[in-house]
Amino acid sequence: MRRFLCAALAVLLLFLSAGCSGPSAKDAPAVRELFAMDTYMTLTCYGENAEEALDAAEAEIRRLDALLSTGSPDSEVSRLNRDGGGELSEDTLALVKAALAAYEDTGGAFDITVLPLMELWGFPSGALHVPSDEELAQALAVTGSGRLSLGGNILSLEPGTEIDLGGIAKGYASARLMDLFRSFGVEHAIVSLGGNVQCLGAKPDGSLWRCGIRDPEAEKADELAGILTVRDTAVITSGPYERKLTDPDTGQAYHHILDPSTGRPADTGLASVTIVSADGALADALSTACFVMGPEKAEAFWRERPETFDMILILADGSMLVTEGIAGAFSSSRSFTVIRE
Amino acid sequence: MKDRRLRRADLILIAILLAAGVLMSLGAVLLSRDGGTVVVRVDGEVVASYPLSEDREAEIAGVNGGVNRLVIRDGSARIEEASCPDRLCVGMGVIRRAGQSIICLPNRVVIEIAGSGAPETDAVSE
Repeated sequence: MRRFLCAALAVLLLFLSAGCSGPSAKDAPAVRELFAMDTYMTLTCYGENAEEALDAAEAEIRRLDALLSTGSPDSEVSRLNRDGGGELSEDTLALVKAALAAYEDTGGAFDITVLPLMELWGFPSGALHVPSDEELAQALAVTGSGRLSLGGNILSLEPGTEIDLGGIAKGYASARLMDLFRSFGVEHAIVSLGGNVQCLGAKPDGSLWRCGIRDPEAEKADELAGILTVRDTAVITSGPYERKLTDPDTGQAYHHILDPSTGRPADTGLASVTIVSADGALADALSTACFVMGPEKAEAFWRERPETFDMILILADGSMLVTEGIAGAFSSSRSFTVIRE
Repeated sequence: MKDRRLRRADLILIAILLAAGVLMSLGAVLLSRDGGTVVVRVDGEVVASYPLSEDREAEIAGVNGGVNRLVIRDGSARIEEASCPDRLCVGMGVIRRAGQSIICLPNRVVIEIAGSGAPETDAVSE
């Protein structure tokens, strides 16, 4: 009896002490947090050279930010807008090429020349101005990537036209980071550049990364519509909740995803679009483009190129559509419809 | 001759040890549920951390003279007041689970709940 009790006590103590041991620090990730490109970024990297890789990644993000920021008068993009064009550096050339290809592919739904429209609405400054039809017509007259011409590495802008690569820059940057991580021998990494997620490999234990998809209807960013398990891909979402300006007199809210054909916030019955593609810049551009297109056109667009990307469409009524390539990797407490080829 | 029976003192000792064990287990279970820590970072640097289980208010000095008032109450954290122009952080509501965060871009303030439990996701696309 006494032996039995002693053994029971020993087991109990063992159980208690086991509960106190912490996780091993050996496989802990290196994490970097930074504010750049007008957003909040977290970079997570595993492996021997993780800290060095993160230093290089942070420097790369700051370099691209300085090159592409429309808010900084010294950036290459500001110079191009001021001078009506000019010579492009390597990164800007790659971005402009990708942007022009996306413009062609999406029938103009993705357009880097909406900057005058964005300025008209007051999105860069945060001071809402609801434009008149006349003001919109004036801004629309200088909008359209057809007003850009690229010859070699020389870009020309027609008078009044301005470019903003913000709709593709974060996706381009996250893809650049994956290349950078690889060059440091890093095999497992995940970054979120203001909610634009891209991952390298799978998790160190071989399991897939769990990427939450924000519930666009929820006030709080941490409420999820579902979870997608992924490896080696970008997961980029566009939704009106990202930036909104409210008219203090009428209470009407206006969001920042402008339809380049009307100059007004796109109103297509979509609450958010998530694009999944190994090409970060493409995913970034298509998340905006498919939002502008609306659910029917976006579905048709995907059917023409199902091997290029996958997507999750969340409609304003809360229903969800998921393309078949990722349907098996998506889990949600709500039901969703699978889009098939 | 050795007395192999339990004495009264042995029984009391065992009872006390058992009671202590049960209490500790109970405490460990309860603490692991409410044992989150509210970590405050400004421009990437940790400036403060508070237990989620203790009610408090704290002024956080962000970048460029910005101020956010953090309120921890009943096991949840929120920004009650902020000097930033958009006040998105105030509108972000309360957080209570490990991995959840509130971010104020203008003041470069991040409030995050750190906890022992594994977070539900590795990242959130938004």
